[in-house]
Amino acid sequence: MASDQAILLVTGTALLFVGIASTAVSKNLMKSIMSFQVAVFGANLALFASGLGFGSRLVSDTFVALSILVGASVEAVGLAIVVVVYRRYHTLNPDEIRRLRR
Amino acid sequence: MASELVPLLLSGGLFATVAAALASRKVSNSLIALFYTSMVLGVTFTFYGDALLGLLTMITFAGAISVLLLSVVLITGESKLDLGARKLALAAVPLAALIGALAAAMVFSGQAGGQETADTSFGVLAFLWTLRPWDLLILVTVFGAAMLSVISLLGGED
Repeated sequence: MASDQAILLVTGTALLFVGIASTAVSKNLMKSIMSFQVAVFGANLALFASGLGFGSRLVSDTFVALSILVGASVEAVGLAIVVVVYRRYHTLNPDEIRRLRR
Repeated sequence: MASELVPLLLSGGLFATVAAALASRKVSNSLIALFYTSMVLGVTFTFYGDALLGLLTMITFAGAISVLLLSVVLITGESKLDLGARKLALAAVPLAALIGALAAAMVFSGQAGGQETADTSFGVLAFLWTLRPWDLLILVTVFGAAMLSVISLLGGED
């Protein structure tokens, strides 16, 4: 179980950082939202793996459930903002949107 | 070594689907790959004995958020799905068949129920902690129908 925990912890942490990095460098707002979802997946997996080595996993499970709900809510709000931005500027490129705002 | 094979396979599946989602140029392909990522994460939680988190992940991300993403993809007009991506979406069929076969094997071998985890101190919510194969079969059917809807919605744009 300890090796399982280590593998899942490494995987979750890697997904978290890959998601954050991809969110920062993405040139499409939709891809940024999807990268954010990958980061949420990584955080959930790392939280879940952190509780694998103990007898009771109630605390880690509670945090994972909270993270799932908060992540989904944030993502839904982000998608709503994407739709509003697209209707106003007709593009999803952040650089283009920044240029059009001036 | 054999016990480490399963987490390595699950991690490999997660990395493969995430790489497909982030490296794909088309948003619709990323959407389908992200759907598979949600499924693999849910299977991971379920495999390690947490059916509640697995179901919550699948219902929330593979269900609700995927539909939201699909709606936004259709609104913004980035919904061209070529034949290769349609094949990618159809890859859900063997995955669903595998899960269905596992669930059927559990039903016929008499392992349905998971009684040892049902007597936790959560009262009326205890049924959430038990993985029942027929629920899993219904879930697989719903996911299969959702993927067919995605294919028909996005594939009709070409």
